[in-house]
Amino acid sequence: MAGTSVVNALAVLLILTSMMVVGTKKLRLAAYMYSIQSLVLVSIFLSLAIFMRAEPLYIWSVTALITKTFLVPYLLLRTLKTVGDQEEGMTLKTTASIFLAVLMVALAFVVVGSFHTYALLKIKVALAVSIAHFLLGLFCILTRKNALKQILGYCLLENGSHLTLALTAYNAPETVEIGILTDAVFAVLIMTVIARRLFKGFGTLDTDTHTLLKG
Amino acid sequence: MIGMGENILYALPAVPLGTALLAFGIRSRRVAEVVHLAGISILALLSLILVRDVLGGQRPFVLDGMFFADELTAILLLLIGVVGFLNGFYSIGYMRHDLAHGEVKERNISFYYGFYHLFLFTMVLSAISNNVAILWAAVEATTLGSAFLVGFYHHKTSAEGAWKYVLLCSIGLAFALYGTILTYSNAFSMVQDAHKAMLWTELVNMAPHLDPQMMKLAFVFILIGFGTKAGLFPMHTWLPDAHSEAPSPASALLSGVLLKCAFFAIIRYYAIALQAVGKGFPQTLLLIFGLLTVGVAAFFILVQNDIKRKLAYSSVEHIGIMATGLGAGGALGVFAALLHTINHSVTKSLLFCTAGNITMKYGTRDAQKIRGMGKVIPFTAFMFTAGLVTVAGSPPFNVFVSEFMTLTAVLRSGHVWPMIFLLLFLVIVFVALILLISETVLGSPPEDLPRGEVNWLTLLPFGILFLFMAGLGIYLPAPLNQLLQGAVSVVLGGK
Repeated sequence: MAGTSVVNALAVLLILTSMMVVGTKKLRLAAYMYSIQSLVLVSIFLSLAIFMRAEPLYIWSVTALITKTFLVPYLLLRTLKTVGDQEEGMTLKTTASIFLAVLMVALAFVVVGSFHTYALLKIKVALAVSIAHFLLGLFCILTRKNALKQILGYCLLENGSHLTLALTAYNAPETVEIGILTDAVFAVLIMTVIARRLFKGFGTLDTDTHTLLKG
Repeated sequence: MIGMGENILYALPAVPLGTALLAFGIRSRRVAEVVHLAGISILALLSLILVRDVLGGQRPFVLDGMFFADELTAILLLLIGVVGFLNGFYSIGYMRHDLAHGEVKERNISFYYGFYHLFLFTMVLSAISNNVAILWAAVEATTLGSAFLVGFYHHKTSAEGAWKYVLLCSIGLAFALYGTILTYSNAFSMVQDAHKAMLWTELVNMAPHLDPQMMKLAFVFILIGFGTKAGLFPMHTWLPDAHSEAPSPASALLSGVLLKCAFFAIIRYYAIALQAVGKGFPQTLLLIFGLLTVGVAAFFILVQNDIKRKLAYSSVEHIGIMATGLGAGGALGVFAALLHTINHSVTKSLLFCTAGNITMKYGTRDAQKIRGMGKVIPFTAFMFTAGLVTVAGSPPFNVFVSEFMTLTAVLRSGHVWPMIFLLLFLVIVFVALILLISETVLGSPPEDLPRGEVNWLTLLPFGILFLFMAGLGIYLPAPLNQLLQGAVSVVLGGK
């Protein structure tokens, strides 16, 4: 089936872009990467809608295009303007990161079975990628110390769950997607506001130095 | 107002949302206070009307069943309405003091009230959601609604607390979203109806037919997700930071009410899991994590010096006790857990509000520097002592009753060792809190500290909360008992 291979190819592209987001040192560049990645996500929604006749995903791709390709990167870039582009130190070597990323994809393929049983769209690779994506986001938050990078990690994680949702439950009532997307955008908005205040208070976005509260 | 029928489900979220929007637009502090007071009063009244309706056997549903109310909803709304009112009333005096001492600017007062009501709105929404995706979205929204309350003061530490709060809770809740999706897909494959597969009332009815393996996985995700928000170990680390950095009345609302919103979400899935996978799995998980939570919190309560952080860890401890109650299971365990949510809510609100008055007076939260409260602010000191004695689990107050029930339930379910451990942890907490009383209330006060209560307006809610606390210790009113029994049947599937 041609549709499946298109979706799978796009899903692999999604993982590649997200590794670029995690791996890029310059935050401004990482934000653009995220925007590109969201565009890939939108294309996945579109191809699912076309090839699998999943009509609700047409609307999803429009909302995701507006919020994730434009709005969220805009919020991040605006914050970067105030705090200045940050270079962040790497806690892990690139090779180690890639190795871990591969490990997560493998892990995702192991977990995917239970999701697959009840997924509406039976595209195993894409489903595994969505879960791997979620794990990559988590990994990004845990290993990166820059607050803005952690926000980007959250965005990756959120893109992952968005794709899982599309594959397993695209037919859910429209209110559901609106609710989840609104939360995602507001979460990023609020995190950037707090990040700015962290920068104002501490003069850095390195969360390793934000340790006044302990115990 | 009498007999609003189903319209009450529209009125309940509309009132705090409207008040919030109004408050954000107001510049004058006095007007903002009046609007705020009206908002919390109407919400309290509406929640009481809903409780009455539910007790009268009504089950309102609106918007195709997207929103509804049963006994569980009623209990949670009772907390949001009544405790929200008392903390809101306390806020007025507290904010006036902060304004007078230059802690906040006049303009920020309206923001505080605006966010306070926005926060109430999100909590109400989580309470009345029947659609599990809306429930998830509402709980996530509570984080966002309260983030600015946590970061309200422009201190470095408040920004740090708010950051950890939003980041960790958002990550945690992402897991809950997976739990929600799994539950939905599982149900959808059975009923082939996208709308019904999202409704909790339908899910709980079809629970015996759901795939047990999938529901186990879903429950684990849910427990991690909403457990993070409820403050269960090991995802509780954000809680002491967030709850201690917020203005005291907001801390009271966070500890007293918000934790329960997440906890009630767990209860909803617990009810599904009980029927889908049997008692063993969900109960064992809750028992283990409940006990670990109590144990870790007990240790931190002992070593903390900051009084608000001590109180925050005590909230972690009590969430642990509630989880243990569910873990013990059976009618007694669930009843104990639900009663404990009410008891803890009342008591912790009293404690955070008194802690607010103490910090206003002493200008510090450090227990090593607060001495001789009994002589300086005798009324607050008495309330603080009573609150601590209660939260430590001593009779004749309310927390003792539900803790004792929990212990009995654990023992009756055949878990002797967990019961012994729980008892041991409770003893540690008891010692820690009695030490705190002896240090701060007794002793000789700093010489230069003028005597007298900071603010008379703040003392009224103390009195009311104290009455609830003491009253519920000796007598459980029949309507409340009926409500709790009803909620137990909702959870265990008796009706």
